[in-house]
Amino acid sequence: MNHEADFSRQSFLGAESDQELGATRVAIVGLGGGGSHIAQQLAHLGVGEFRLIDPDVIEASNLNRLVGGTQADVDQQVPKVDILKRTVLGIRPWARVEVVKALWQEADALLRDAHVIFGCVDGYLQRSYLEGAARRFGIPYIDIGMDVTELQSGGFAIAGQVIVSRPGCPCMRCIGFLTSARLAQEENDYGDAGVNPQVIWTNGTLASLAVGEFVKLRTPWCPMHTDYIWLELDGNTQTVTNSLQPRYARIPERCPHYGGGDGLGDPFFKLCHMS
Amino acid sequence: MKLVWRSTGRFVADVRKDLSRRHAFAHERVGFVGVRAASAHDDGIVLIADQYFPVADSDYVQDNRVGARISQEAIRKALEVALLNKVGVFHVHMHLLPSKRLWFSDVDLQDHDNLIPDFFKVRPEMPHGALVLSPTSIAGRGWIGASNPQPIGEFNTVGSTIQIIRASTVGDTPYNA
Repeated sequence: MNHEADFSRQSFLGAESDQELGATRVAIVGLGGGGSHIAQQLAHLGVGEFRLIDPDVIEASNLNRLVGGTQADVDQQVPKVDILKRTVLGIRPWARVEVVKALWQEADALLRDAHVIFGCVDGYLQRSYLEGAARRFGIPYIDIGMDVTELQSGGFAIAGQVIVSRPGCPCMRCIGFLTSARLAQEENDYGDAGVNPQVIWTNGTLASLAVGEFVKLRTPWCPMHTDYIWLELDGNTQTVTNSLQPRYARIPERCPHYGGGDGLGDPFFKLCHMS
Repeated sequence: MKLVWRSTGRFVADVRKDLSRRHAFAHERVGFVGVRAASAHDDGIVLIADQYFPVADSDYVQDNRVGARISQEAIRKALEVALLNKVGVFHVHMHLLPSKRLWFSDVDLQDHDNLIPDFFKVRPEMPHGALVLSPTSIAGRGWIGASNPQPIGEFNTVGSTIQIIRASTVGDTPYNA
């Protein structure tokens, strides 16, 4: 494979960016509308190692947004992870793709040595659990999510967010995204426009923003100068802004929610348990 | 068994800053890093830096044959870290003389072979080892038992970017990473 020719259009990302991206292990949890876009874009970018985790098979209602999914996949009830494995390998046959059709909690060994975790899950609790796992293993976590709310004045408001949470920096609780009230809600009922409403263009916008933040983490193109990223998408006006909500949160100097002591690593780790 | 080292950029910067301080007579400084661990995919172990423990100024011994010699008291304190904190302990020092590759000196390797196995007497269930830093890079060896150390294959430092340093099969890394 000729890397220079292959990635010449993105060479501005850095002289060694193709090797760096090729050596990066990403875990994507949730391969619906957001996760499928992310997997596809990362394959185009040249990411070399994928861990794809999702417990579900594709359904007819997923075809409005699941990138790579086909009617034939629906007919054959193909697992979402297999659809995205096919998509990734179709773009980059040399990529290493591990898939697990299960809840991420049953496949967390695949997360532990990942370099970045993308969380494309429904609900605040799942986000909280996944960020907790990322913090435990010292991994940056990039969260995306969208929400459709019925307005009293009529119509619907589409909104979404991309959050980058890094070890040693404020977490999603510190910045005020995860609150006690939100965590108390059931994970799938925080939208008003039917069951967990999702649309492809908003998923795609959020996925693109998340991949942009990933590229900042992995290449010298445009390093982050803030301790966290919280981008808000107004899906109706199609505008993206830095969230103002952290201004109203008292962000602690040191994250009190994760890390230190038994909050790092596997508290039950024992060498004798290794094969 | 593949060993992956992981720490935040701030953690490594703080360690470098401490190890760069001048000492009254020692030519270099030494510290210890407490690590947590987790098993990972493909029989790997992720080592996650938790806390840094600098060696006190008074715990160095004058020895002009080496860059730094630490006392039995310093070693006792490091063993106590492993005993009381349920962590693996990694000896750490810094090489400031630029070279193409970053790796331990023969004296370092010999000292570590004598020192590190003792940590298994107080904390046998955790990996222990040694690290060497340059101003921009890191290399190291991990013990997953009292004998047979192996190179740490990869170092992840998470700051404003994620630095991933891969070691050669013998463990050395680029001095300028």
